Amino acid sequence: MMDLTQKQWVKHTVMHPFEGFEDLRWKKGGSLKIAFLIVFLLFVAQLAYNRLYGFQFYVSYDKTFSIIPYIVQSIVVFATWVVGNWAVCTLLDGEGTMKKICIYSAYALIPYIAQIYINVFLSHFLIRDEYVFMQAIEIIGTLWSVVLIFSAIKAVHQYTFGQTVFAILLTIAAMLIILFLLVLMLSLIQQVWVFISSIYTEISYRVRV
Amino acid sequence: MSVIFSAAVISCTAASLAVSADEPYDVYNYDRWGEAIPSQAGYISERAVTGNDLGIGHFNEPQDIFRDFNNIFYIADMGNNRVVAVNSDFDEVIKIYDSFKMPDGSTTTLKKPMGIFVSEQTGWLYIADSENSRVLISDLDGNVISEITKPTSEVFDQTKTFLPQRVIADKAGNVYIVLGNITTGAAMFNPDGEFMGFYGANRVEATAEIVGNYLKNLFTSETKKAHKARNIPTGITSFDIEGDFIFTCTSSTTQTTDTVKKLNSAGNNIFANKELAFGDYTPMYDSNTNTSYATKICDIDIADDGNINCLDFTTGRIFQYDEDCNLLFITGTIAKQQVGGFNQVAALESMGANLYVLDMMKNTVTIFTETSFGEIVHEAAAYYNAGQYEKALEPWYEVLRRDGNYRRAYIGVASALLNAGDYEGAMKYAKLADAPAIYNKAFEGYRMDFLDEHFTEIIIVLILLIIALVILSRHFKKKRLAREAAEIAERDERRKNAGKEEQAT
Repeated sequence: MMDLTQKQWVKHTVMHPFEGFEDLRWKKGGSLKIAFLIVFLLFVAQLAYNRLYGFQFYVSYDKTFSIIPYIVQSIVVFATWVVGNWAVCTLLDGEGTMKKICIYSAYALIPYIAQIYINVFLSHFLIRDEYVFMQAIEIIGTLWSVVLIFSAIKAVHQYTFGQTVFAILLTIAAMLIILFLLVLMLSLIQQVWVFISSIYTEISYRVRV
Repeated sequence: MSVIFSAAVISCTAASLAVSADEPYDVYNYDRWGEAIPSQAGYISERAVTGNDLGIGHFNEPQDIFRDFNNIFYIADMGNNRVVAVNSDFDEVIKIYDSFKMPDGSTTTLKKPMGIFVSEQTGWLYIADSENSRVLISDLDGNVISEITKPTSEVFDQTKTFLPQRVIADKAGNVYIVLGNITTGAAMFNPDGEFMGFYGANRVEATAEIVGNYLKNLFTSETKKAHKARNIPTGITSFDIEGDFIFTCTSSTTQTTDTVKKLNSAGNNIFANKELAFGDYTPMYDSNTNTSYATKICDIDIADDGNINCLDFTTGRIFQYDEDCNLLFITGTIAKQQVGGFNQVAALESMGANLYVLDMMKNTVTIFTETSFGEIVHEAAAYYNAGQYEKALEPWYEVLRRDGNYRRAYIGVASALLNAGDYEGAMKYAKLADAPAIYNKAFEGYRMDFLDEHFTEIIIVLILLIIALVILSRHFKKKRLAREAAEIAERDERRKNAGKEEQAT
């Protein structure tokens, strides 16, 4: 039973929100490569959402462009989710490894990503009066992903319903802490760098004189 | 005049590319994102007139300037305690009003007059005679008709002095007076000089501090509340009347709501729900002197064509808006030594294509006149606001030829093309204008046209696609069935083999 290829597993988990991930775990399916591809697609989707949306719905600020916010919005947030969830659930008797959390969470994001692509496409054919269709697609895709993420976390750690809710809340808190520390560290490194570079300039002036 | 002209010629030849090379500042405008971008000048300073030029001695801290229906200018020359009437060319004094004849035959003089108004209906002068605590109403020959003094009504706070600063009268003869120490709006008097109440008070802006105070007040006792500072909006600074509407302005660096209002006769603000911003969007900040140059609109004037001119005290700039409050031009600067720059602006007035700005420290009236660019923009904006988009199209194109940054022109062209049914052109210009609402309408039309035109092609492509899908799915189904059959056969084979092996063992 259920001798599925890696591609078929993706379809199976997305289309079976309640037992899909249990099956995936039972058959030890899921590929890290596909997970990375999905996260990359999320990154492209964020870009498309901000840059390629139909003009009648969204005017993007074209004077400057920086790729960093898009990387943060997609890849960094996903990585923090994985690390945060792993850190929290290791302490809470979760059974998932970091690799598995990464794979399962990425698979669960598919409806959300698909929703973005569909809406970016539709936004070039619809007018503002028909925005309600796009809104419906957005809500369905997002809710679907939320359900999938929930069941993914539930399956990967073999939790009960209550434990999963608790773990997800703790994970979000952990994500905030990680991001805060990251920002702190970046600004500290920057200051150290400024300090070193100013010492270098001072010395180089003295040496020349 | 000739000096300016020759300077202009020299600078034009020296740097013909520079934007408005003959004004002492860089002309700018705002784009869709509220960022300042270089622009063409709509007005250019022509000359500055002093009292000496008019042969009546220097002005001394003049406070207000008003043009009446005969195009005679009246200047409230505060420091000299007089009102000067000048002709429209600013080369001849018509009359100096410094003493008036009271109805009982005695004479009365002015003491620091700060505001002046002439009624079109009656031809009477209304003078805000601040230190005498009265508004003097007189005819043009200087015979006093009546006086408005501090009302005895209980509504009026009797502890406050009556300090009139600006005055206007409407068609019916009602008099509105801006009082320097009252923040609850302009005092309103009926034609008989009876106090009617206050008109057009500003709202309190819902800043974080105000909201916090409100929450705190929910838990404060009445006695404590009575001793606390209340949240009071800044009072009206100046106003102008145009038809049935009174436009007010408020000079405050902290307040952003209600800095400019358009009030109907009931005192309701027409601009209230429009989320408009007047003056500079982001105040310039000078870190050397730690000052923020936030806009303080100290006078407002409605031009004959309905444009709204706002005078900014801080930066000496005139912000001109059309009647729908779209920014047209920003003119003027603080520059003490140059014509076209100011020291401390007090009031402004307009006549046709000219602007007249009164400077209370330089004691001059600076006359600005429209550039040819300004003329085209005004023409286009007037047509546009009247809904005649097609007529506005040609002037808007001309504006774009002269200044490709002028966003209103792109909106104008897009609207005109949209009206004319050129949806593709409208989409192009709406995109350039960053105007998604117009783009949306144009796209709707474009899509409709496209569907109408290519209906048969679309249907044919759809049918072909469906046929292709059906054929492909059949093909794949056959393949899958064949593969499954092969698998089953293989499995049976294996089982048979396994059975044989078992038998063999």
